[in-house]
Amino acid sequence: MGPSGAGKTSLLEAIAGLRRATGRIAVPGETLLDSAAGVDLPAEKRRIGYVPQDSLLFPHLTVEDNVRFGLAKNGPAAARLFDEVVGILEIGDLLPRYPATLSGGERQRVALARALATRPRLLLLDEPLAALDVALRGRILPYLLRVRDEMRIPFLYVTHNAGEALLLARAVLLLREGRVLASGPVGDVLAAHRVETVDPSASFDNIFDGVLERAPEGDGVGRLATPRGTVLLVPVDPSFPLGRAVFSVAPEDVLLSVRPLEGISARNVFEGIVAGVDRFPSDAIVHVTAGDLAWRAHLTAGSVKDLGLAPGRRVWIAVKTQAFRRLR
Amino acid sequence: MTREDFSILLLTLRVASISTLVILPLGVAAGWALSRGRGAVKQIAETILALPLVLPPTAVGLLLLEMLRRSGPIGRLLDRAGVEVLFTWKAVALATAVMSFPLLVRPVRAAFAEVDPRLLGVARSLGQGRFSVFRRVALPLAWRGILAGAVLAFSRALGEFGATILVAGNIPGRTQTLALAIFHRTQIGQDGSALRLVGVVVALAFLAILATETLERRRSRSAGAPA
Repeated sequence: MGPSGAGKTSLLEAIAGLRRATGRIAVPGETLLDSAAGVDLPAEKRRIGYVPQDSLLFPHLTVEDNVRFGLAKNGPAAARLFDEVVGILEIGDLLPRYPATLSGGERQRVALARALATRPRLLLLDEPLAALDVALRGRILPYLLRVRDEMRIPFLYVTHNAGEALLLARAVLLLREGRVLASGPVGDVLAAHRVETVDPSASFDNIFDGVLERAPEGDGVGRLATPRGTVLLVPVDPSFPLGRAVFSVAPEDVLLSVRPLEGISARNVFEGIVAGVDRFPSDAIVHVTAGDLAWRAHLTAGSVKDLGLAPGRRVWIAVKTQAFRRLR
Repeated sequence: MTREDFSILLLTLRVASISTLVILPLGVAAGWALSRGRGAVKQIAETILALPLVLPPTAVGLLLLEMLRRSGPIGRLLDRAGVEVLFTWKAVALATAVMSFPLLVRPVRAAFAEVDPRLLGVARSLGQGRFSVFRRVALPLAWRGILAGAVLAFSRALGEFGATILVAGNIPGRTQTLALAIFHRTQIGQDGSALRLVGVVVALAFLAILATETLERRRSRSAGAPA
């Protein structure tokens, strides 16, 4: 993570061998680059999968030929690997199509499948969701989780989005101006460097995990019980299983009030305390603690001023059920 | 068309085809190198390649003649190998090849330059060596530009006059191409038969331009992706 221009993409390109670099880059069992020792493995020998932000599919090849591009020639092992990545990323129906006819989300899945088909030892993902709108992000994330958990391929993931980091990563590396500013467990680094990680143009989603149950409130609504007992009313799709689930809600969809809320249509209303305010020139992210949950609300600078929002202030949060999106 | 006209047309087509086929791989390699290279070396190479476009063709012909004559640097080697070039169809092919080479290289270079270098980087990260990346990504994405360059070079070869007449002369049945024959016939006062050949040349040029335009239009419409 890190602000624009911090060197995130350059770092990935250096690891992939697509950019000249000096220093030392090693993966368990092999040194990829060691300027002092004169080692510089060419990109094609590094076995590192690279998924750029804009997919970069080969426009002259079908989806199938894109995925097969780096696949070792024929043989039953190659066929199995091909079937596995096509299955995990659910691109079977797309195979005969050309990239120009795919949506942004489909392209990213194909780019991911193409990289996985080479059985890389490490996957580099450069803001794979940045080009997608918020609704689509929620649909791609489960595929990334499957790659991580089913194929057991480690990845380095560049993002501006704290929610994605919390959901996907074990550790985070925070860059600024080409240097490592902080590294460590995701929660710790994000808590200590909140402002550094926020790109005003990127959404800073609220992520909640818990156990999903069908609710007595009626069809299409479920109850998500968080580990410490807060219950959120969320939309449910009949095709998704109940049980362990993760939902996100965009900070734009979190409303704040300085008076108790009554007679409001939003079904999730909680009383909380402002924990902090990250100010930007025209807007702000307000952090609110309510029971066991931490919320982030995206407000204009004017609202923050008019409501007198400052740490310690008592507020009420309101979120519509339909504002929640299921991540898994 | 008389029998003689027809044999002139055949000779012209044959020589232009051979010339284009010979320079095609060289032009693709040069276009690729120029599209990837940078700095002073590239500038100098581009300038040398563009020379035949701006020099009078007769000047290029004279330079070729000097190199190919028996006492010249290349002529001596050819003589030792027992190969006769000057004033044969081979000299016509050589003159047209040199004159049309820059016209081939320019569109080829432009087509390769349009290929996103990051696409080539991704191909390498998928385990493909440089040649494989060239063959499987760069070449298929640039093929329309390559074809357009080949058509352009072929058309130039059909009409080459100045360099050809110096290295190959104007020998009916051996080195007399359409362009040379038109000149020759007007010189001896056979304007009518010269005009007949002009008709043939116009038809050929029409077809060549039509082919190029069609390719160009298809290239810009699909932006490299097959429909």
